[in-house]
Amino acid sequence: MRDEELDAILSREQEIAPSSGFVASVMEAVSQQAGAPPPIPFPWWRALPGLAAVVIAAGVLLIAALASILKGAAAAPTAVELPCALAVTLEFAKATRAGWLVLALAISFVSVKLSTLFAANGRHH
Amino acid sequence: MNVADDQADVEKVLAGDPSAFEGVVRRWQGPLVNLAYRFCRDRGRAEEMAQEAFLRAFRSLPGWRRESAFSTWLFALATNLYCSELRRIPARTGALDDIPEPRDPRAMDEAYELEDRDRLVRHAVFALPPKYREALLLFYFHDMDISEAAGSLGLPEGTVKARLSRGRDILRRKLSPHFGAPVLEREAS
Repeated sequence: MRDEELDAILSREQEIAPSSGFVASVMEAVSQQAGAPPPIPFPWWRALPGLAAVVIAAGVLLIAALASILKGAAAAPTAVELPCALAVTLEFAKATRAGWLVLALAISFVSVKLSTLFAANGRHH
Repeated sequence: MNVADDQADVEKVLAGDPSAFEGVVRRWQGPLVNLAYRFCRDRGRAEEMAQEAFLRAFRSLPGWRRESAFSTWLFALATNLYCSELRRIPARTGALDDIPEPRDPRAMDEAYELEDRDRLVRHAVFALPPKYREALLLFYFHDMDISEAAGSLGLPEGTVKARLSRGRDILRRKLSPHFGAPVLEREAS
């Protein structure tokens, strides 16, 4: 099939007219939209401390785990495997009382949840 | 279409008069509904998609940076919506291979043959992968104007040209079993 034939067929398109109530229907939806309160943006400023704490905690944990793995690798370069690395990380976590870290993460999570809850309450009042 | 009317209505809406949007809807309802119809081939769905496009345009009016004509911006927004909508819920069209091949194309009545051929070609366009189908639909909607089609799709003209070419190649390959050599020879003469 040649391009000219294709052009001729696809250019011969049936035009449809919108139904008589189309404009009214769109304008009704537009009025509802205009009357609705603007969406509340996510409270980034309130959530920022919590998010920053999560990022810092994750970074510290990662660096510490990498340092431990590298230390282990230097001691026995041929014996580094994933389970071993995991064990080293767990040991490190125990030694550094990672429970505090977990607690910090939990507090961050709760602060984020509370900030979204407060924002939702503010929208209703 | 009057560019100044669009501009004036948009200014009124942005100044806090949502009813001024009616002018925009009246001017562009035909093109937007027809564009949607080409995408879905369903009148009811076309109107729903066009309504959603107008609503989205209303919401996004403050974001129109006036770098392009209002119509270009509106078509780009509508095209984007229609493409996503059709990728989410495809139009109800079967595969091209589902259509039985005529036993002898020469035996068909002339008028029936033409009608059947149009139907087959449109069906084949719908069976194309979305990126080729969208390029073809927009190209013919904008009266074969590549730059307009590219503007609506938000793609460089070169990309649209390449997609059109590839889309036509696929169409030719798909349609060749349906349009035998005799049909093409008769038309060429």
